[in-house]
Amino acid sequence: MDSKQILAADSIVQIEDLSFSYSGKQIYSHLSVNFPRGKITAVLGPSGTGKTTVLRLIGAQLRPDSGTVKFDGADMHRLGRRELYRTRRKMSMLFQSGALFQDMTVFENTAFPLEVHTLLPKEIIRDIVLMKLEAVGMRGAASLYPSELSGGMARRAALARSIALDPELIMYDEPFVGQDPITKGVLVKLICDLNNALNLTSIVVTHDVREIMEVADYVVILAEGSVLGQGTPEEIRGSSDPRVVQFINGDFDGPYAFHLKGRGNYLEDL
Amino acid sequence: MISNFLGSLGRYFLKKLTALGRSSMMMASAVFARPDFRRHSVLLVNEIYFIGVQSVIIILVSGLFIGMVLGLQGFNILKDFMATGSLGTLVALAIIRELGPVVAALLYAGRAGSALTAEIGQLKASEQISAMEMMAVDPLHRIIAPRFWAGVISLPILSILFAVVGIYGGKFVGVDWLGLDDGIFWSAMQNSVDLAEDVVPMLIKSVVFAVVCTWIALFNGYDCRPTSAGISSATTATVVQSSLAVLGLDFVLTALMF
Amino acid sequence: MKYLKAEILVGIFVLAGIIAAVVLSLKVAGLVLNTSSDVYTLHAKFDNIGSLKLRAPVKIGGVLVGRVSGIRLDEKTMTPVVDMEIDASCNKLSNESKASIQTAGIIGEQYISLTPGFYDEDLGSEYLKDGDYFQDTGSALVLEDLIGKFLYSAGSGDAKAEGAEAK
Repeated sequence: MDSKQILAADSIVQIEDLSFSYSGKQIYSHLSVNFPRGKITAVLGPSGTGKTTVLRLIGAQLRPDSGTVKFDGADMHRLGRRELYRTRRKMSMLFQSGALFQDMTVFENTAFPLEVHTLLPKEIIRDIVLMKLEAVGMRGAASLYPSELSGGMARRAALARSIALDPELIMYDEPFVGQDPITKGVLVKLICDLNNALNLTSIVVTHDVREIMEVADYVVILAEGSVLGQGTPEEIRGSSDPRVVQFINGDFDGPYAFHLKGRGNYLEDL
Repeated sequence: MISNFLGSLGRYFLKKLTALGRSSMMMASAVFARPDFRRHSVLLVNEIYFIGVQSVIIILVSGLFIGMVLGLQGFNILKDFMATGSLGTLVALAIIRELGPVVAALLYAGRAGSALTAEIGQLKASEQISAMEMMAVDPLHRIIAPRFWAGVISLPILSILFAVVGIYGGKFVGVDWLGLDDGIFWSAMQNSVDLAEDVVPMLIKSVVFAVVCTWIALFNGYDCRPTSAGISSATTATVVQSSLAVLGLDFVLTALMF
Repeated sequence: MKYLKAEILVGIFVLAGIIAAVVLSLKVAGLVLNTSSDVYTLHAKFDNIGSLKLRAPVKIGGVLVGRVSGIRLDEKTMTPVVDMEIDASCNKLSNESKASIQTAGIIGEQYISLTPGFYDEDLGSEYLKDGDYFQDTGSALVLEDLIGKFLYSAGSGDAKAEGAEAK
């Protein structure tokens, strides 16, 4: 499958002409990008380009200066508060820190969205929770508190919580940061398995190029407030754009300078 | 120079005004949300426990000592005028009209308000509030509303407890220690304290203080910068703003009601 | 059904609040629950009521028998009228009784003191009923007036002498 086929299919999230600035700093200007339904899309880019911001804009936690974000055809930033919360039930987000509720056990964390949004009896909720925990391999840790978990376990527990309501879209915010290689492998496998088994759409924000290129169906590289390149992993690898090449290979020298641009001359500064 | 000053004044004022606007919006959507009693009563009970029950000890001890000091000072002063019979009146009116609601609110701001701000700031800093939003759970309903109602329920109860303990503290010093007549103490009090003119205004005061202090605490937590420094400055702001608001509002309410 | 520790403590907390409120209204504010049901109202006209207030006590020989329930001005005679709610058990007040406004101590609160009159059916005296007026009343002593009178009488000797010379 090449990028044309993927883009020709239905997009679950459509970002059009989006501009966003935060405390006076322009983060995005006229960004347009689509995320295909049912696929794993990797969002890559150097640190500080606001990859996480894209996820928060999709979830309507942040409001753009201009442009639209459509999820499943609904303009997220035009929805009323009630519709917004109803729409958010169809998406979920895995935060970088996991963001588990500290005063609840892993079990209670996973049960939380079910208890709030459904009227299911306790026994059924218990079964669902155990199934979700089993899916991420955390059933044995159900009675532990988040403070007793390692970083990788916390992320898996958070993943169980985010799939509790069977969402259509999961957004992963830097899922691999600070994890050892084995945990990275486990998380990559989980992302892949969940995407296929639950028939959902995944958007993975990361800068661990190698891990995500193995499983991603589609790759979007963001830099300097707009799309630097997009396509299937093969197309990205074969790209001739020197900036893309530098980013994918992790080269020290290239179009992106090692030094941040400073004002004036280095020697004068000293 | 002058334009700089005016500009910074204007910016400061506008910043405060937008903060006030945002906090009003926050409170409005938290307070006027349709309550879901089946789920929220558990949250409410937990928060009353956290805000109210855990503040009881400090309220009782402070009330007792303030009443005792009032009894001692009042006795020594009234003695010079041969009017120790009015000690009951003095203690009861001072505590019911002013000290009860005001000191209880100040203690509440220090004990419960700062804890609320820090707790919500911590929830925000660890992205738990964001996570809740993305799980389609409105944190205003789930986190803010139960804490607000718990505060509005707890502080009046704490004020009443404070007043009763304080009056008994004054009675302990005046009657049991300094030898004032028990009957004179109580009857002087009963003749001067009026339910509609003293006790009801006290409750009104403490409800107003509860709304304001809880509001300030919740907003500072909800609006803080999600960092350690942000949480600590928000906690400080809660205590400072609540204390000033209580003392200022107390004057306004006293002028209106008495 | 099993309750959590927090729930029980919250229950105790709320209960303590209610008990404290009851103590506050009964013991501190001296609220008497059996009001209005068994009282009757008497009226009295005074020349001057001083600083008499609503709910001021009405006493006979120092014993509390009722409270002031209303203070108004009679529109025809332009004199103050005080309404008193008297306990129904105290129903043997003859129409010869006197109501006077007195002060507890020199600077204390003002109250109404009732002095029962004698009762003799042969002389046509009756017991006061609901809505009756006291015939005999004594107005409040206003401290400023007393001082004024005292000063006037102290200086009156000289004043008369001066007046005589002027004539």
